[in-house]
Amino acid sequence: MSEKGGKGFSLPTKTTPKSALKSTPASATARHDDNSAKSKRGRKVQFGMEGLPNLGFNFSSPKSDGKFAIPVGKGDWAKGGKGEKVVNGGKAPVAKEAKSLELRVEQELPENVKCLMDCEAANILEGIQEQMVMLSQDSTIKLPESFHLGLQYAKTRSYYTNPQSVRRVLEALSKYGVSYSEICVIANTCPETVDEVFALVRSLEAKKSRLSEPLKDVLDELGKLKKST
Amino acid sequence: MFFHIVLERNMQLHPRHFGRNLRENLVSKLMKDVEGTCSGRHGFVVAITGIENVGKGLIRDGTGFVTFPVKYQCVVFRPFKGEVLEAVVTMVNKMGFFAEAGPVQIFVSNHLIPDDMEFQSGDMPNYTTSDGSIQKDSEVRLKIIGTRVDATEIFCIGTIKDDFLGVINDPTTA
Repeated sequence: MSEKGGKGFSLPTKTTPKSALKSTPASATARHDDNSAKSKRGRKVQFGMEGLPNLGFNFSSPKSDGKFAIPVGKGDWAKGGKGEKVVNGGKAPVAKEAKSLELRVEQELPENVKCLMDCEAANILEGIQEQMVMLSQDSTIKLPESFHLGLQYAKTRSYYTNPQSVRRVLEALSKYGVSYSEICVIANTCPETVDEVFALVRSLEAKKSRLSEPLKDVLDELGKLKKST
Repeated sequence: MFFHIVLERNMQLHPRHFGRNLRENLVSKLMKDVEGTCSGRHGFVVAITGIENVGKGLIRDGTGFVTFPVKYQCVVFRPFKGEVLEAVVTMVNKMGFFAEAGPVQIFVSNHLIPDDMEFQSGDMPNYTTSDGSIQKDSEVRLKIIGTRVDATEIFCIGTIKDDFLGVINDPTTA
């Protein structure tokens, strides 16, 4: 996280009004006009530091890869005023249109997070609801509105009779480099053809040649596991 | 989509809850405080599934409150940019339509609705094409293209202007 007030700065000295800091900001469109002036590829960018009255610094951008990468240390970036993260995250400015619509669950969430398919979530939430029925003697414990909405949503989206077998079938795709979140999207949308999978999960298009055959088999298996209704 | 995640929170407990039922009181307070809330990072906390760990309580100076760090597992629902999901239409107007997927509201602007779908006003405003119509209670498959988080809810923008997106279930023909 960035900090206000110049803490953690790796500048050589705080007394010099300007110090050159090599970093690699992308062709970043300014999100906050008060902080980043005009940042363009290869141009020097000046950041106004409201928290540090005497400090301003330039940095050039020799490389851009769509993200705001700073070699000195991502966390040590003091930004005046708002103290927000300038590097990547949802505020990453210019990304390609197609790339920005690709699923990026793994990058945005911490590693210990497990994606759940809608059918698995439905099982868990139903179990909790049954427990709450038993605990309902304590009238102060009530399930929130979002629980009921979430449960209803998950139940209507569970097309499969057995979530474990669905997971086993889809796990075969993970050795082709399909991420867990992409597997969950495939399971939730219940596609019928391989073209549908590639249209819905754009991030798999890069691996189209490798994935077409295994995907076809997986979709056939999933078709057998669907509920009859 | 749904996720199973471990979160941590510092819970403050009033001394009147101390005693034999300290842990139960702590857990029920956690449930009251956390379930139903929403954050930008994790999305909606739909339900707490278990308590992983309750740390040692720290008595706060000046008051008798004790702060316990609690690690708990929960099911969260968070929409992602690029995710495809199925939602139920709640309102249709000439600017587009609103849909709900679980606790999340999604708006699809008419700019992101295929050009061959025409808006028809009336008692049941809808967008109609030869394949079907989108009106209240229709099910549509859409792709999320943006999210915004408020204090208590997440709001998304979606599109149906891509392949394999659009109406799934037309209530008039069902």
